Amino acid sequence: MDLAQLLNGLAYGALLMILSSGLAMIYGLRGVMNFAHGALYMLGAYLAYEVTQRTSFWAALVLAPLLLAAVGAALELGVFRRLQHRSHIEVGLVMFGAALIIERTIVLIWGDDTLPVKAPSALDGTANVLGTDYPAYRLLIIGVAAVMAVALVLWLKRSRTGLHIRAASHDTETAKILGIDVDRVSLVVVALGAALAGLAGVLAAPYFSVQPGMGQSILIMVLIVVVAGGVGSIGGAMVAALALGLIQTAGNVWIPSVAVLVPYLVAIAVLLWRPSGLAGKRVA
Amino acid sequence: MTTLLQLKDVRASYDGALVLDGVSLHVDAGETVGLVGRNGAGKTTTLLSIFGVPQVTGEILVEGKALGKRGYEPAARGVSIVPQEKRIFPNLTVTENILLGGASGRRGRWTVETLFELFPNLARGKDRPGDRLSGGEQQMLAIARGLMADPKVLLLDEPTEGLAPVIIDELIDALKVIQDSGTALVLVEQHVRMVQMLASRFVALGKGRVVAEGATADLQSREVQELIAL
Ligand SMILES: Nc1ncnc2c1ncn2[C@@H]1O[C@H](COP(=O)(O)OP(=O)(O)OP(=O)(O)O)[C@@H](O)[C@H]1O
Ligand SMILES: [Mg+2]
Repeated sequence: MDLAQLLNGLAYGALLMILSSGLAMIYGLRGVMNFAHGALYMLGAYLAYEVTQRTSFWAALVLAPLLLAAVGAALELGVFRRLQHRSHIEVGLVMFGAALIIERTIVLIWGDDTLPVKAPSALDGTANVLGTDYPAYRLLIIGVAAVMAVALVLWLKRSRTGLHIRAASHDTETAKILGIDVDRVSLVVVALGAALAGLAGVLAAPYFSVQPGMGQSILIMVLIVVVAGGVGSIGGAMVAALALGLIQTAGNVWIPSVAVLVPYLVAIAVLLWRPSGLAGKRVA
Repeated sequence: MTTLLQLKDVRASYDGALVLDGVSLHVDAGETVGLVGRNGAGKTTTLLSIFGVPQVTGEILVEGKALGKRGYEPAARGVSIVPQEKRIFPNLTVTENILLGGASGRRGRWTVETLFELFPNLARGKDRPGDRLSGGEQQMLAIARGLMADPKVLLLDEPTEGLAPVIIDELIDALKVIQDSGTALVLVEQHVRMVQMLASRFVALGKGRVVAEGATADLQSREVQELIAL
């Protein structure tokens, strides 16, 4: 594997990291896998296409996450909050349905052709990384993900809301008894998680193709990341995302014929080694 | 005297199974009430019903005003709990666990520093994660966390359970400091000695109902002893 391939793995891992940290936070608060997470990512990518056409990619980078935050707030108010006393399987199924609706709506609006999104002209060329020419745009993905990860961790560790999120994702009932308004915390978390999914979608748009299957395929990867990282652990998800991005890229290079199986094999290996995932949080 | 906390004909159930069958009790400002009864009588459920953990009907009033259905309200209105299982967050440090007690935004006389003075053991391990504490330390931490919201009434669910006698003595000293600060206590206890030492009044539960109540001196009477069979 050469440096360029390594960086590709990092860029892919960075996208997975942005997505899975949101998914892990939502799981912590509401106890449900958000099966619409891939659809939110896809919506972010299509919004990137639309906004880039009309104004610029940079506008999309700001606008799409904001719009997705609103979609996340709607999902929290309309689904997670209303159904919080229902079984997790029921809520999971409803989110699966929400994913289908979002994806179908996207196809109705934008059609099912693959759409091109151009990287911003400033990042169109290559940059020299330790003697290797590498697409500058992909460095942006890595950079944005790194900044996001540091900011997210600092926010969770240092802020009052972050403390409440860490408490509520471990034990919502006790958090409530201690005076935390879990519904309010959850609104913040689901909106933020959706915004992050949108951000990942925008970043991915010029890199991968924007097409109707993109949500489902990334969702599977993100679910693997969250399970391997330790369900509900944000730190575990971040580490697992980067690792899986690199391993997947290595698989594509070294064993292309069976590379699609690599994520599953990694997940099985991790779970055999540590049944509750890398971060090893007890699954309550 | 003002009534701080009042339960009127509270019925509570878990998944349709009735556990409390019409419990009424009250706590006045600054007093300590012992809540006694044998295992499974419904003591814990009585405390948790204030926070809406079981399904509850009946009236629960704080300073004469009804409590809403939201579990996070009591803390903001001055009712804090030290749960039976402590419920320390293992993923948070000692200091963070204490800070969590102020999550409702209600704050008052107690700060992290003054709580560390009350419980010096906690100060020594302030950056330790919550799952690296002894049973005694966990109990002290749960109390410190409850005090962080400066409650008017602190509900303590079997604080001495599983503690060594020397630690129980430390705990009693701390509870006396809390009493002297004017905070009312509800003390769920199996040990009559604890109740007699700290409380002026007791309420006895049996099978989800109040079966006796009175001055703590009466706890020794044969009649009460038979009813609650501690
Ligand atoms: N979460 C729950 N789900 C179902 N039933 C419960 C639950 N918690 C308590 N119960 C039942 O309610 C009854 C009262 O329990 P509770 O914990 O209130 O008793 P307690 O007086 O606190 O007992 P102990 O002294 O053992 O702590 C018991 O029969 C118990 O089995
Ligand atoms: Mg109990």
